[in-house]
Amino acid sequence: MKRKLASAIVIAGMMVSVAACGGNDGNDSKDAGPSSWKGQTLTVWTMDGSAPPQWSKDVQAAFEKKTGAKLKFEIQKWDGIQQKITTALSEDTPPDVLEVGNTQTPAYASTGGLADLGDLKQSIGADWTASVSKSSVYDGKQYAAPWYFANRVVIYNKKIWAKAGINSTPKTRDEFLKDLDTIGKKTDAEPIYLPGQNWYFLDGLIVGQGGDLVKKQGDKYVSNLADPKVAAAMEIYKKYAAYSKAPKDKDEATPQQATVFAKGKTGAFIGMGWEAATAIQANKSIEKDLGYFTIPGATADKPEGVFLGGSNLAVAQNSKKQSLAKEFLKIALSDQYEGELAKLSGVIPNKTSLESNLKGNAAAEAAAPGAAVGGTTPLIPEWAAVENTPNPIKSYMTAVLNGKAPAAAAKDVEGEINQRLAQQN
Amino acid sequence: MSVQTEGTDTAGGPAVRKGRAPAPPRGADRASRSPAARLAAAPYLLLLPALVATLVLLGWPLVKNGMLSFQNLNPRQLIQHLTEWNGFHNYQQVLTGSDFWKVVERSVLFTAANVVLIMLIGTLIGLLLARLGKKMRLTLLVGLVLAWAMPVIAATTVYQWLFAQRFGVVNWVLDKLGWHSMADYNWMGGQFSTFSVIVLLIVWQSIPFVAINLYAATTTIPKELYEAASLDGAGAWQSFTSVTLPFLRPFLYSTTFLEVIWVFKAFPQVFAMNEGGPDRLTETLPIYAYVEGVGNQHFGVGAAISFLTILVLLVITSYYLRMVLKQEEDEL
Amino acid sequence: MKRSLFGRIWPNATAVVLFVGLVFPVYWMFATAFKPTGDIITDNPVWFPKHFTLSHFDRAVHADHFWTLVANSVTVTLCSVLLSLVIALFAAFALARMRFKGRRGFIVTFMLAQMAPWEVMIIAIYMIVRDGDMLNSLVPLTVFYAMMVLPLTVLTLRGYIAAVPKELEESAMVDGCTRLQAFRKVIFPLLAPGLMATSLFGFITAWNEFPLVLILNKDIEKQTLPLWLSQFQTAFGDDWGATMAASSLFALPILILFIFLQRKAVSGLTDGAVKG
Repeated sequence: MKRKLASAIVIAGMMVSVAACGGNDGNDSKDAGPSSWKGQTLTVWTMDGSAPPQWSKDVQAAFEKKTGAKLKFEIQKWDGIQQKITTALSEDTPPDVLEVGNTQTPAYASTGGLADLGDLKQSIGADWTASVSKSSVYDGKQYAAPWYFANRVVIYNKKIWAKAGINSTPKTRDEFLKDLDTIGKKTDAEPIYLPGQNWYFLDGLIVGQGGDLVKKQGDKYVSNLADPKVAAAMEIYKKYAAYSKAPKDKDEATPQQATVFAKGKTGAFIGMGWEAATAIQANKSIEKDLGYFTIPGATADKPEGVFLGGSNLAVAQNSKKQSLAKEFLKIALSDQYEGELAKLSGVIPNKTSLESNLKGNAAAEAAAPGAAVGGTTPLIPEWAAVENTPNPIKSYMTAVLNGKAPAAAAKDVEGEINQRLAQQN
Repeated sequence: MSVQTEGTDTAGGPAVRKGRAPAPPRGADRASRSPAARLAAAPYLLLLPALVATLVLLGWPLVKNGMLSFQNLNPRQLIQHLTEWNGFHNYQQVLTGSDFWKVVERSVLFTAANVVLIMLIGTLIGLLLARLGKKMRLTLLVGLVLAWAMPVIAATTVYQWLFAQRFGVVNWVLDKLGWHSMADYNWMGGQFSTFSVIVLLIVWQSIPFVAINLYAATTTIPKELYEAASLDGAGAWQSFTSVTLPFLRPFLYSTTFLEVIWVFKAFPQVFAMNEGGPDRLTETLPIYAYVEGVGNQHFGVGAAISFLTILVLLVITSYYLRMVLKQEEDEL
Repeated sequence: MKRSLFGRIWPNATAVVLFVGLVFPVYWMFATAFKPTGDIITDNPVWFPKHFTLSHFDRAVHADHFWTLVANSVTVTLCSVLLSLVIALFAAFALARMRFKGRRGFIVTFMLAQMAPWEVMIIAIYMIVRDGDMLNSLVPLTVFYAMMVLPLTVLTLRGYIAAVPKELEESAMVDGCTRLQAFRKVIFPLLAPGLMATSLFGFITAWNEFPLVLILNKDIEKQTLPLWLSQFQTAFGDDWGATMAASSLFALPILILFIFLQRKAVSGLTDGAVKG
């Protein structure tokens, strides 16, 4: 055993020197063309719930056929993902391609961990929707390719709504709240499942109020949480949350809200269209009762603001398989597979020309009106740090839901937010 | 005779205060081939693997950690393998911030509360074990061993379930006992209630070690001591204070020392229970270092906090360490 | 009369109460794991499961790579315990039986090493392992876990060795044994219970360790069970049947090990206790 340890140490020592001397290897093989692809394995990180299994299967088949290389999808959990990506990008053998949330992309672009995809933008990205491609541009360079976009809708249980005697979906916020009230009174179901920290929903409400989370003070960004518009958004959130028994100090992923909904004892929840698939996976019989509608706004002519969430695909700077990775992006983002993704998941594709794939997809049709009035979190590199656990905005939400005045709750966390915004990258 | 076993009992006794043991004759050192020299080298050779391991696997990370604490190390520097020295900036930031000292105070109180409860209850259970009949003792030992063996992460999950807001058995019992406001109580909603659950968990897990050890120690107290005490007319309490307690004292010291370290360093229990929440109010020093360093990706600051954490722990345990230093001196 | 009856009853009564309090969390874990969901999510707790189901376990075991993780955990735990015991045994023998310069310093070194807050050093360790190109491997995990318990193992074993009467060893040497033989034939057998008691610390530590493997091994095929348990818990947070089944599976090997080693461990502790 002692010898084993000794050898482990010696090996470790040797590895250090090998790694130190071999640092240039990457550049040599980076330029290697198609001839070297055969026999390689490309690793792609996608987030839990992003890529439908059918899509992954089809893309894998197409990729392996075309390149002769192998493709390995590794599904990542959201929990602790930022640290995982940061450390992974620092390694010699990072995942070659990775999905990065649009709000996180500027931060990662600024770290130098993502490869410049300018040439890819030129070859396949001419008609990428400008507004959705924006988050992947940093300092004038394209650091990621837009993959898909999505916004939240109301996913509801038709059976429960019918039981409560409601036959049409609400067109205004007040109608929606009234319907939830009716469900609460007439059925034994929980009208809506809305945990206290579904903060992307709050972000949508803030967008709807015309507010913003940060403001510029001199050349620095500081918290804008004390803005009355944010408070107004939070008050709306509170009204909805009053109809839910969900914990006030948890977000929608702990536990997965779709699996709670799948039990058939919840009237509705606010989520991404694809979360329906998670619910169906948990309970097959829920499928026939599923319905979707746009989150209604204050008036019938304008839906509620939504957070325009989205994901980009980026290539790790340290990846030794740059050309292969780009080949993967060309296949995955081709009209055929980008269209298939839109069709299967009901997400907004990266080109307007592909939106026809959304026809007949109930979730996507419910999402479309919202997308028109959607917005994002601030697209600045400083922002990502604010979303790190423990997210101060989530603390703010829990505090307000527990009865604290929004202004006071905002004051409690603004110091933390400002500190994080000021954090050097 | 074993010097060790006696040394602990008679620490400070002048009779054993001999100073250094006579070294092997100096001359033998020179003749390196002689058996005496080999004998002199033996202890060092035996210690070598442990020392090398400690140096490589603990010393190196410690030094590395110390170096990181003087660097500006954020995702960009980590990803690009950059080294940006920034002097005492991290320490300055931590020490002048309002959070650090609050966390230190909280950690010390947290450690004190836990250790007092653990030592008190553990000792009482240990003494109880000695009084029990054979069957009952075995039963209680099984209970202790089960609680002791329960892996931390599993135990934390179980406690979350016991104290769950909805359908948690603790809330049900409290409600049935007449405390109706507890029926839907959210234990993770407040600082004190979260700490209560964490303390209960840690105390539950730590008592067995103290109790079983203490029971084991009491079995080694020579019966004659008690006989002598009762001949002197000592009652139960007096024989406890004059025989049991002095005999157990070194054991109690060393166990307290271990418990202080373990509780102060407790990480998975605190972190997994509520991630230091609500509102970062249950962050103890290790959690604080982790959240600032790894969570916030402010790795240099995290390293500085962890270095300060070690310092605080050293200060807390310095009394015992001094005692050990003195005692080991006496033994030789 | 009344008093002595009371005097006989209260220790037993207290013991029963304590036993229930100590065992209840463990019992509740297993009970919940075997109960159908309808008996878990209920307004009045079902204290003794009436209908048994294995469906929760089924769900827990069906996680990706579950058996790989089991194999990894077992490998890492056993190797690190063995490694630390062997290294510690040498050191403990020297510290307990020999006199040499700097002995006190070594003891204090191990006491200080005992305090290392591993969880807060993980970035430093990560960078060392990363730069040594040893990520996604079980070797660093094994050696670091061994190191985590090494100081305590040295200090505890030293107590056990010291408790073995020196005369036994000396008489063996008079009978013509070398010191090594004396150690192997006389001390080592007497030390067995102490070794077992000490190994328990190693088992718990290595089996439980979580932050280090999380950052070092991103490859799921090189991960260990604690990661599986915590991820399972996040995803199925409100599915207490499934989480308790997962926890039961995780806890079972250690519980069995402890019960199995209990007798020897306790008698081992008796020998070593005086030293503490």
